[in-house]
Amino acid sequence: MLKLIQNEWMKLWSKKATWIMATLLIVILLANAGITKWIESTSPAPEIGWQEMEEMNLMSAQDQLQNPDIGPAQQDYYEGQAAIAEYRLANDAEPFKVESLQQQVLDGHMMLSLVTLFTVIVGAGIVASEFSQGTIKMLLTRPVKRWKILTSKYITTMLFALLFAVITFASIALFSWIFFGIGDGAFLVWNGSEVVEGSYWAEALKLSVLSLASTWMIGTFAFMLGTVFRSSSLAIGVSIFLMFVGVQLVFLLQRFEIVKYYLFTHTDLTQFYTGFMPIPDITMAMSLIVLTVYFLVFMVISYWTFAKRDVTA
Amino acid sequence: MSNEKIVEIRKLSKTIGKKQIIKNLNLDLHKGEITGFLGPNGAGKTTTIRMMVGLMKPTHGDILIGGKSIRTDFEGSIEKVGVIVENPEMYKFMSGYKNLVHFARMHKGVTKARIDEVIQQVGMQNRIKEKVGSYSLGMRQRLGLAQALLNNPEFLILDEPTNGLDPAGIREFRMYLRKVARENDVAIFVSSHLLSEIELLCDRIAIIQNGELIDIKNVNEHQQSRYYIEAKPSEQAKQVLEEIGFTVHPHENGYLIDTEAEHIPGAIKLLTAAGVDLYAVQPHRTTLEDQFLEMTGGGEIAQAHTK
Repeated sequence: MLKLIQNEWMKLWSKKATWIMATLLIVILLANAGITKWIESTSPAPEIGWQEMEEMNLMSAQDQLQNPDIGPAQQDYYEGQAAIAEYRLANDAEPFKVESLQQQVLDGHMMLSLVTLFTVIVGAGIVASEFSQGTIKMLLTRPVKRWKILTSKYITTMLFALLFAVITFASIALFSWIFFGIGDGAFLVWNGSEVVEGSYWAEALKLSVLSLASTWMIGTFAFMLGTVFRSSSLAIGVSIFLMFVGVQLVFLLQRFEIVKYYLFTHTDLTQFYTGFMPIPDITMAMSLIVLTVYFLVFMVISYWTFAKRDVTA
Repeated sequence: MSNEKIVEIRKLSKTIGKKQIIKNLNLDLHKGEITGFLGPNGAGKTTTIRMMVGLMKPTHGDILIGGKSIRTDFEGSIEKVGVIVENPEMYKFMSGYKNLVHFARMHKGVTKARIDEVIQQVGMQNRIKEKVGSYSLGMRQRLGLAQALLNNPEFLILDEPTNGLDPAGIREFRMYLRKVARENDVAIFVSSHLLSEIELLCDRIAIIQNGELIDIKNVNEHQQSRYYIEAKPSEQAKQVLEEIGFTVHPHENGYLIDTEAEHIPGAIKLLTAAGVDLYAVQPHRTTLEDQFLEMTGGGEIAQAHTK
């Protein structure tokens, strides 16, 4: 299996497109940091200090807590936010500025949708391209069972996603260190009973692992489409379309019970820690179960079609 | 030639939709022997070959390679098989060498030394580091052969291997296959619709039509000896030949007689003595093409199955 993955990895990085994607990712992140820096340097200094900002945060968190519609995860979140804001004001503990390495790293998980995009391209093409190049005949007439070949391709796609996620974080850390440097401030967390200082690296890691669930699901979906339809353009098109429209559909389906079993209600696992939940009464456990079921369905369809298919092209 | 059985095709059938493409096909292949697989377009050559290499699944029947079933022990049966299915499609964005490394990793025990050996065998050492995209068709065929030989196969399957090669390339390819069959005692199964090609290359020919194996014959099997005689006036010549006791069949501008070589000088003397002018006396060989057309009903193309 290791040799098969090695093969897939070698093929992947022998393609120019892969190097272009890696370059593009880094360039976009560089531009992002550059633009943030430029906006900071051209806009006038803020009129209000961080204390006023924290007071506003406190008020809005308290407002949210009065809202009867919020779910348990949101309840915890806003309680934490209120407690942290009170603590900051009471102890003169300044938060990170947006233009600091720390805050950029904390927000880095939002950039992982780029990784999803590239993973969709790779996942959609990794099986489909073998068919379009005609190399599938060479690949399947070896003493290796088809499910092993498909597994090596799936693992390679996921390794690619991981590598790109690492590149994303390394680039964000590097570029924000160059442009903004390490700022003042403390990272605070609410552990349920008191506010303590936490590690922003650990928090960033947690949020990005949760964000990668969406990369994983959409990547798997694209992989399935590419395997079933043997057309990477179709698989890329449909996956990217769903990536954008799928989330919007959550709002349309909001009133119906079925929304709780809908994939895109659950793909963003960071929602349990950022307070923004379109469907407030779902839980992390429920999301993980729904995602697992979808994953299994995607996998069964991919393996079944790949193993059974007569190769005629 | 050891004549050991290496491949056994047993009651092989394939049905796609409602159409039976391969009907109850039985065939054995032996070590050291080159078997040609001949048939009109759409007869089921490619389908049969794809089933033999695991690209398609048989509806009924089985294929045993080295005694192992392709249905129940795919990895075991295909272990010692080398395959070239039509034009060998390689990864164009990688070098020839990387392509070979890629395929070598999918077999057990193919070493780096073996890769180099195969490259030497097909004479590609000078360009093996270049991208496959820059290769000519002939080069790609050679690389295709190289990848098929990596695992020291006991059985080579080639589907239309000379498609698109120039005459020199075809000749080179043919010599090479013969060498491999003889020296390594490999069984080779070659499909083609080029009769002359098969005739030159193969020891044995299996003919398929409409999914059925209609004949298996050895190429150099002793043919009935026939002579073609052209003489004038032809009526008189016919009379003389019939008097001697030959069976006479009209053919082109003369006659064909079934006889052995030793009777020819006597017949010529009698014809000359009877005052007949001889224009031609020559052995008449039916070519494979004649036989093939005869058997498959004038080369009528079987209802084309979609490829």
